[in-house]
Amino acid sequence: MSKPIRMALTKGRLEKDTVGLLEKLGFDCTAVREKGRKLILPVPDANLEVVLAKANDVITYVEHGVCDMGVVGKDTIMEMDGKFYELVDLGFGRCKFALAAKKGCDFYSGYGIKTIATKYPNVSRRFFEKKGMDTEIIKIEGSVELAPLLELADGIVDIVETGTTLKENGLEVIEDVAPISARLIANTVSLKLRHAEIERLINLIEENL
Amino acid sequence: MRNYDLITPEGTKDLLFGECIIRRNIENSLLELFKSRGYSEMITPGLEFFDVFNLNSRYFPQENLYKLTDSKGRLLVMRPDSTMPIARVVATRLRDAMLPLKLCYNQTVYRTEPALKGRSDEIAQAGIELIGSELKTADLEVISTAVESLKSFGTEFSLEIGHIGIFKELVDKLDVSEHTKEKIRKHIETKNFPALNDLLDTLGNSPVTVALKKLPALFGGEDVFEKAEELMPDEKIKRKLNELREIYRDACEICGNDGKITVDLGIVNKTDYYTGLIIKGYLQGHGAEIISGGRYDKLISEFGYDVPAVGFAININGVAKVIEKSGVLPAAPKADILVFAEQGCEVAAIKKAQEYREKGFIVENALFEDIDSARAYAMEKKIAKVVVIDGSDKEEQE
Repeated sequence: MSKPIRMALTKGRLEKDTVGLLEKLGFDCTAVREKGRKLILPVPDANLEVVLAKANDVITYVEHGVCDMGVVGKDTIMEMDGKFYELVDLGFGRCKFALAAKKGCDFYSGYGIKTIATKYPNVSRRFFEKKGMDTEIIKIEGSVELAPLLELADGIVDIVETGTTLKENGLEVIEDVAPISARLIANTVSLKLRHAEIERLINLIEENL
Repeated sequence: MRNYDLITPEGTKDLLFGECIIRRNIENSLLELFKSRGYSEMITPGLEFFDVFNLNSRYFPQENLYKLTDSKGRLLVMRPDSTMPIARVVATRLRDAMLPLKLCYNQTVYRTEPALKGRSDEIAQAGIELIGSELKTADLEVISTAVESLKSFGTEFSLEIGHIGIFKELVDKLDVSEHTKEKIRKHIETKNFPALNDLLDTLGNSPVTVALKKLPALFGGEDVFEKAEELMPDEKIKRKLNELREIYRDACEICGNDGKITVDLGIVNKTDYYTGLIIKGYLQGHGAEIISGGRYDKLISEFGYDVPAVGFAININGVAKVIEKSGVLPAAPKADILVFAEQGCEVAAIKKAQEYREKGFIVENALFEDIDSARAYAMEKKIAKVVVIDGSDKEEQE
């Protein structure tokens, strides 16, 4: 059998959902389920090798071609950009990017430049650029909701799933920025050089979504 | 202030010994190959005026260029590409030259890449430009040169062809804004099927939208042409497709069993100046394209000389990486002889060493005061023979 296809999975929920999908396709993912601390795990009957990585690293590994394919959220793709093929919307990991601010405040009022706190500076910049709005963007690493509460920022651009965190902190969604879901991506050369194998896998996946 | 005197800038590196041997071997064999096919080498300046790369169609986004100013305050860039400077030369100094012109080059280009991504800002490229012929034979000539180049690297390869004209014709049939066309192009380029389908669904169901939806999936072997044939809405596009199919068949025949020729109708890169045929080359074990090229019939006219052209560039850094990964670095050939001079015999020793060199040996002059140090050096460097020049006769030692 030829060298296995390497697929990088975003650790955490997307990893679990992807493993669930692979099992639904009939592949034996025992090694991945019982991974321990290992980061590279075989799915022998699919001739796959699963690599577990952080979201941004999934894109890096796929871009460089050391992983042939990857499963990563649209949020990471939008923030990182890069050269790869974005083949399938896997449908799971659904949430959205949204602009949120303190409840009851009129975010768009006034002519002052708004300050936005976010973990996703590129997504935020592009969103406001399209509106022709000049904003000051501050990158925050942890809980972005803090920034408007501490009055560092007028609003935040962040991932919103249920909106509970926002509500509990007195924030509300002002506007949706973009929908998010998990994507299957592929290295541009791998897709060409291993066309048949990857196509077979993608067809299987698409039939089972 | 911090001093950066011990490191090189992000995206650059020093090459030592074996790395240089690999690099020069690749460059020399490519230049030899190009010259054996009648291409003449040219060298363009590393610095160019920004304007050369800032034509009406801005192929290189300014944020990716290394910029500086000349003594008069004019904006210069470090050459990000060799084809555009060559187009400039063709439109000026070579304007009256007999066509077709067959040009080749081997020089570095500079582009700013995002930091900490493991990419090079300084890329060695070798390539050819065939200027002044619209004939299919010219396309084939360039393809066969690309195939021969890929073969010379001695690893598994694949050459892919496409035709930007098919996408352009299709998208021009849609009554939509340039902005929407750009979005369609982007989705096709990234093979983003979900987004492409969503966008085209809003434009109704016509043969054109159906064909555009399928375009990114139309890659692979000969069967692609059959699938595409049914999808193309008019004769003009079908004719383009057929031209490509003929080129594909000829290319397969040229390539033989040494590699694979494939086709992808979904290659629609934005920054390309290409107008027709597109060529890409891949090597097993490298995650990005090694060869990039195609037909650019309108580029030189932007410099004021309307003449068709086709060519490609090979990413030497990429090839070197593949070769380095596949084995041990080659070592520089070691010296055959070490010549040691006793005090007062230095000139005689230098002359003697030269005599040996003329006989074809690699000879080093020993730079030590005593013979023991010279012998230890020869031992360490695995130099088989030490010759001592002491004014009388010579002593030889294994």
